[in-house]
Amino acid sequence: MDRREALRWLVAAAGSRWLDGPGPDRLLAWGRYVHTRAQRPGEPATRALDAHANRTVIALAERIIPVTDTPGATDARVGLFIDRMLADWHSAEERARVLDGLTELDARSRARYGRAFVDCSEPEQHGLLVVIDEEVAELRATPPDQRPGTPADPDDHWFATLKFLTVWGYCTSEVAQRQTLGAFPLPGRYDGCAPYPVRPAGDA
Amino acid sequence: MHVHVREPEFDAIVVGSGITGGWAAKELTELGMRTLVLDAGRPIAPERDYTEHTPVWEMPYRGLGDRRDIEARQPVQRRSVSFDELSRVFWTDDVDNPYSTPDHKPFHWFRARQVGGKSIIWGRQVYRWSDLDFEANLRDGIAVDWPIRYRDLAPWYDHVERFIGVSGQAEGLSHLPDGPFLPPMAMTCVERHVRDRMLATFGGERILTIGRVAVLTVPHEGRAACHYCGPCHRGCITRSYFSSINATLPAAQATGRLTLRPFSIVSGLTFDEGTRRISGVRVIDAVTGAQREYASRIVFLCASALESARILLNSRSRSFPDGLANSSGQVGRNIMDHIKWGGASGAFDGWTDRTVVGERPNGIYVPRFRNVTERHPGFIRGYGFQGGAGRAGWRSRAEEPGIGTGFKQRLTDAGPWSMTFGGFGEMLPDERNRATLHPTLADAWGIPTLHIDCAWGENELAIHRDMNVTAAELLEAAGARDIRPSTSGPSIPGGTNHEMGTARMGRDPGTSVLNGWNQAWDAPNLFITDGACMTSSGNQNPSLTYMALTARACHRAVEEMKRGNL
Repeated sequence: MDRREALRWLVAAAGSRWLDGPGPDRLLAWGRYVHTRAQRPGEPATRALDAHANRTVIALAERIIPVTDTPGATDARVGLFIDRMLADWHSAEERARVLDGLTELDARSRARYGRAFVDCSEPEQHGLLVVIDEEVAELRATPPDQRPGTPADPDDHWFATLKFLTVWGYCTSEVAQRQTLGAFPLPGRYDGCAPYPVRPAGDA
Repeated sequence: MHVHVREPEFDAIVVGSGITGGWAAKELTELGMRTLVLDAGRPIAPERDYTEHTPVWEMPYRGLGDRRDIEARQPVQRRSVSFDELSRVFWTDDVDNPYSTPDHKPFHWFRARQVGGKSIIWGRQVYRWSDLDFEANLRDGIAVDWPIRYRDLAPWYDHVERFIGVSGQAEGLSHLPDGPFLPPMAMTCVERHVRDRMLATFGGERILTIGRVAVLTVPHEGRAACHYCGPCHRGCITRSYFSSINATLPAAQATGRLTLRPFSIVSGLTFDEGTRRISGVRVIDAVTGAQREYASRIVFLCASALESARILLNSRSRSFPDGLANSSGQVGRNIMDHIKWGGASGAFDGWTDRTVVGERPNGIYVPRFRNVTERHPGFIRGYGFQGGAGRAGWRSRAEEPGIGTGFKQRLTDAGPWSMTFGGFGEMLPDERNRATLHPTLADAWGIPTLHIDCAWGENELAIHRDMNVTAAELLEAAGARDIRPSTSGPSIPGGTNHEMGTARMGRDPGTSVLNGWNQAWDAPNLFITDGACMTSSGNQNPSLTYMALTARACHRAVEEMKRGNL
C-alpha cells in the first residue's frame, strides 16, 4: 500500500489496531538490545544519498527526533532507512525532489548562518527546521486551489517526505519499539482499559 | 459387448480448499468418502509460511511494502484491508490472473490461490442469519425466494460454531441469533461507555456488542487460546483463529481418506450427456502445464463465488452451450457484495489514565436496526456497524507540526481516545450485475477469464448515506466531540471481499442454479457451496453461513449416495 493509504487505513481502523501492529512474541526469547550508533565505519554504503547528503539527512532526522532519555533518530539508524526508501521505494521524481530539497536546505543555511546545514550548531539546525516545518504546516492549512507552485500536495514537499520517513523509520526501529514506545516485549494478553502509563516490563 | 466401467478413484472431488472447501473436505472424509481436494495454489506449511511474529524492523520496507513490485504485480489485491508487506504472498498475482470491467465501473476482485485460500486472510467475523434475511426476498418481491429458512440451517450453525470456536456475547436478539459462544473478548473503556450510553438513549433498539469472532479465547478442539499478538492475516502459529490450514484440513487428513493436490487449476467440468452427471474434473498443473482429468461420484465446487461461476461458464457442452448447469441463465448473475465506507468517528475526552494493552483481533458490532421492527421510508434491508475505540498512536500523528523534543513526546505518548463506526450494508440481487466470459482475455494458463459488470443500486446508495447519519447519532448519544461522518463515498463493489450470488439457490429450476441442498438442478452430482449459492446477501459477514451450508450439503450428498440416488 502507499503511505497515504496506510494512514487512511489507520484512521479508519481506530479500535482495530491489530491491523497495523507488528507482532513478535518470539522476541520474548531474545531479550537482547544492541545499542548501535549509525554510520560507523563498516556501515553499508548509501545508495541514494552521497556522503554530504547522507550526513545532512542524519543531522536533520536527529533534530526531528532527538535523543532524550530515550533513543533518538541516530540511535535508530534512521538514515539507513531513508536511504533505502529513496533508492528502492520512492519514484525517481520523488527522490529528485528530496535531493533538490537538501540543496535548498544548504542554501538557506548558508544565507542564514553562513555555513552548510551539517556544519551548523544544533540550535541553528533546529531553528532553520522549525521555519521549514511551519512552512509545510501552512501549506497543509491552505486550500488546494490556493497553494503556490509545485508540488501541489503538501505530502510531496521534500521536508514532509523526510519528516514522514524519519517518523516511520524511527517508530518502526527495534530501539524505539522496545525503549521509546514500549511495544516490546508483547504483553501476550489483552486489557482494553489498563492503567496508563503502562508499567515497563519487568517493573514489579 | 461387455463394457468394463472403471470405478472412480475417488468418491468425492472438492474444488478449492478455502473456508468452504476445507469444510467439505472435513465433512466428506469424516463421513467415509475418499476425497480429492484440488487447489490452484501452493501448499502452506505454517512453520515456513506464517509471518505474524516477524517484527516490523525486520521487514525491508518496515511495513510499507515493496511499492514498485506491488504496483507492478498486485495493483488490485493491494486494496484489500488484509494486504500488507508480508501477507501479500497470500493474495494472487494480478498479472497472471487478469479480469476486466467496463470503463468507469470498477470492481475489486480479491483472490487467493494457495491451500487454505482466503481462510488464511479472512476477517474472522461470524454472524448468524435469521428469517429476517431468509424471508427477505419473498417479503420484498425481489429476485427469488430462498429455498430454506433459519430452522433448516440452525443445527448446522451449531455444528460449525462448535468446531471453529466463536468468541462472543449472547444478546438474545431474534434477528442475530446467539450460538454456543466461547467467552467474549473485552471492550475498551470507551467502548463500554458508548455501549452504556447507547442503551440509555436507544433502549435496546440499537445495541453495541463485542464482535463475534472465530478466534479462540480459551483452548478449544486442540487449538490454543489467542495471545493477542495482532496480525492474524499473516497466519497464526498457535492456530488460534479458524482457517482451513489451522483446523479443517488437519481434521480431514486425520481420517486417512484425504488426497490433497495443490498446483491444480480446474479449467472445467466434464458433463456426461448420457448419465446427465459430472463425469470428470479437468485440471491444468500450475507448474508444468500438464493436463489431466479426475473422476468421482460427486463434485463440490468451492472455488469462491466468481471463480466457481467462471469454471461453470468455461464448461460448455452440447447440453449447456452457455455454461454448465446454466439452463436458467443465472450463472454469473446477481453478483452481490456489502457496501461499506459509510459511518463516522468521534473523539472522547477523559480516560487519560487508561489505555489498551495487547492487540485485540476483533472490534465491536452494532447489529442491524433498520427495517427490523419499523419500515424505513428510504430503503429496504439494512446494515450493521463494526468498529471500535482506542487511543491514537504515532502513525496518526506523523504529519502533525513540530520538531524536536516536544514533537517526539507527542509522537510517542498515547493520544486521545476516538471511536469509529463503519457500516456493512446489504446489497440487493440484480441480474444485471453479472460476470461473463471475456471473449479474448485469458489467464497465464490460457483459461478464459471474467468480464465483471457490477454497480451499486439506489437502495445500496441510500443505505450508505444513512450509515453516516446514524453513526453520528450513536456518537452524539455517547457524548463524543468532533464527530466526523465519513467523507469516503461508497466502497468499490467487490471491495468488501464478500462477493456472492453467481449460482443462486432457489425453488425453481427455471430461475435458479441450485436447489435447497446446494445441488445443481441440471447435474445432481454437482454441489456448489461457496458464496456463489447465495440468494440474497444479508448484511452479516457471510463466511459462517457458507460453512453451515457446506456442512449441510455434505451430509445430504452422502445420504443421497447411500440411498443410491447419486
